[in-house]
Order: sequence, then C-alpha cells, then structure tokens
Amino acid sequence: MIRVLALALLLLGATPAAVLASEGGGGLINLDKSLIIQAINFALLLFILVKLLYKPLLTKMEERTQAIRKSLDEAQAARAEAQHEREEHAARLQAAHAEAQAIRAAALKEAGEEQRKLVEAARGEAARLVESARAELAQDVRRARQDLRQEVSELAITVAERLIRKSLHDDDHRRIVADAIARVDKVN
Amino acid sequence: MRAREATARRYARAVYELARESGDADSVGRELVQVTDVVTRQTAVSDVLSRPWIKPDDRRAIAAAIAQKAGARKLVQDFLGLVAERGRADHLSEIVAAYQALEDAERGQARAQVRSAVALTDAEKRDLSARLERALGKRILMEERVDPTLLGGFVAQVGSLILDGSLDGQLARLRQRLARG
Repeated sequence: MIRVLALALLLLGATPAAVLASEGGGGLINLDKSLIIQAINFALLLFILVKLLYKPLLTKMEERTQAIRKSLDEAQAARAEAQHEREEHAARLQAAHAEAQAIRAAALKEAGEEQRKLVEAARGEAARLVESARAELAQDVRRARQDLRQEVSELAITVAERLIRKSLHDDDHRRIVADAIARVDKVN
Repeated sequence: MRAREATARRYARAVYELARESGDADSVGRELVQVTDVVTRQTAVSDVLSRPWIKPDDRRAIAAAIAQKAGARKLVQDFLGLVAERGRADHLSEIVAAYQALEDAERGQARAQVRSAVALTDAEKRDLSARLERALGKRILMEERVDPTLLGGFVAQVGSLILDGSLDGQLARLRQRLARG
C-alpha cells in the first residue's frame, strides 16, 4: 500500500514538472483545470484500483501465503510425526526382537532341562529294569533251587520209605517203639 | 466248630452232674459211649434222629427206644431222648468226648490215643503209660489202635499234646530239613 501511494505521489510530482516543461516550450501537461480533473480522475482510478484489484490481490496473496505456510507447517508436522513413528516403530521392533531373543533363550533352556529330565528318567528306568530283571532272575534261580531241593527230598524220602517198609521186621518195630517210648521222658 | 463244642459241653455237664449225683458217672459214661456208637455207626438211625421234619416227640421216642434196647439206664434213655428232641443228635460224639473230659478232670486222669504201626505189647503199653503219667502227672487211660499207614513206631495224643514217635514223623522232619537245605 505504501509503495502504491509512493508511486502515486511520484506521478503527481512529475506532473507539475511536465506542465512546467510544456509551459516553457510546448510540455505534455498544461497547469489548468484539466490537470485537477485529471488528478481527481487519477485519484479515483487509483482508489478503484486499490479497492477492486490491489486489496483482493493482497488478500489472495496473503491467503496463499497462509495456505503455503500452513502446508509447510503440516508437512513439517507430518515429517515429525513420521519420524516419531519411525522411531517408535524401531523401538517396538527392538523390543520385539529382545522379547523374541528372551523367548528363544527360555525355550532353549526349557528344552535343555526337559532333555536332561528325559535322559535322567530313561537312565532311571533302565536301571530299574536291569535291577528288576536281576531280582527276577535271582528269584527264579532261588525258586528252581527250592523246587529241585523239594523234588530231590521227596524222591529220597519216597525211596527211603519203600526201603524201610521192605526191610522192617518185627524186631525193628519193637526197637523203634522202645526208642520212641524212651523219648517220652524228654517231653518235659 | 467252637459253638458246636460249647453246646456239647453244656449237654455233657448237665448229664454228668446228674450221673455224679446218682453215683453212676462211670457207668453212665460207658453207656453213653455204647449208645453213641450204635447211633453213629448206623447212618439210618443218625439220619432219622437228625431230620428236622420228623416231629421232636417222635425223635425223642425213637432215641429213647434205641437206648433202652442197648440196655442203657433210664437217665441215659432220657438224655438221648432229650438230645434227639432238641435236634442235637449229630452232637453226640462231641458230647461223649466232653463227658469223658469232665470225668477225667474230676479223677485227675487223661486219655491217650495211641496210633501204632504194629500192635504194642503189654509191656510196651505199660511202659508208655507209666512214662506218660510221669511226664504229665496224671493217670493215663490208653486207647490204642493199629494204623497200617504208619511206617513204624507210634503217635500218642493226650489232649492237645502230640508225641510223634513214628518213623513217618522222623521222615517228615528229614524231608523238611532237606527241602530247606
């Protein structure tokens, strides 16, 4: 606005110079009533131009400036937000990575522990089976020995009974009875 | 089994008290053995006396008649009738055993059941009886029987005491020792 007014004043200052030049020897503008009318016309024109063109233009320019500034601010904010999101994402990624590492380590540890337990259980079971088989074998051997001893004793006693029954005479009976009677004293 | 023995003891004590009061405990004991022998040997008689569907009065009459025919005194007839009436004829053997036990206890004597492979001589019986009397401090009444299944020697039982003087017993002990190793 100030620049427009300065331009108008420059033109107004130049006008008397032009009039004086014409008075001196045939100038472009004459210093008479038409000059005033022209000046008024000019002022009116200037006013209209300022009102109709310059102000809307300035307003438009201002609006555009504001829009551009706003766009710039928004772009800046978007960039900052993007940066923030990027950082946040990176942090989240890092946390997820750390968590995955922790889970993996825990899983590995658990698997190792489980494996150790399984191995120990398998060893225990194997030892128990061996012990059980050994005990069963010993039991079988004992039973077989007992059966054999039983059979041998049965056989021996049966043979002895037959031999005794065949070989016993009345004298032997009397002697056996006498021995048995003699043993009655030992009852007490 | 214990209940059966307890029942038999009750009957035996009752008849023993009556016999002792009349001073005929010994004779009554013998007659009881005799009558019981008749009843238990003849299964038809013991069956009739044990049948629950035969009237108690009839059982009593039959038992008393049997005792009378066997020559038993009135006390024994009545007792046998009572036992049959009460349906206890199958307890007669236990009653006789309980009666003998009461008699033995009263007289300080014991019965020795002796099973032997061959019959014992009189001298052996006397010797065995004397030794048992010494060992148990009671007069011994010996009931001997020959058991051909025995290999040699004898087995004597006095109450719950068993004296095994048989070869079978020795062989059984030897068998156990061999089996034990």
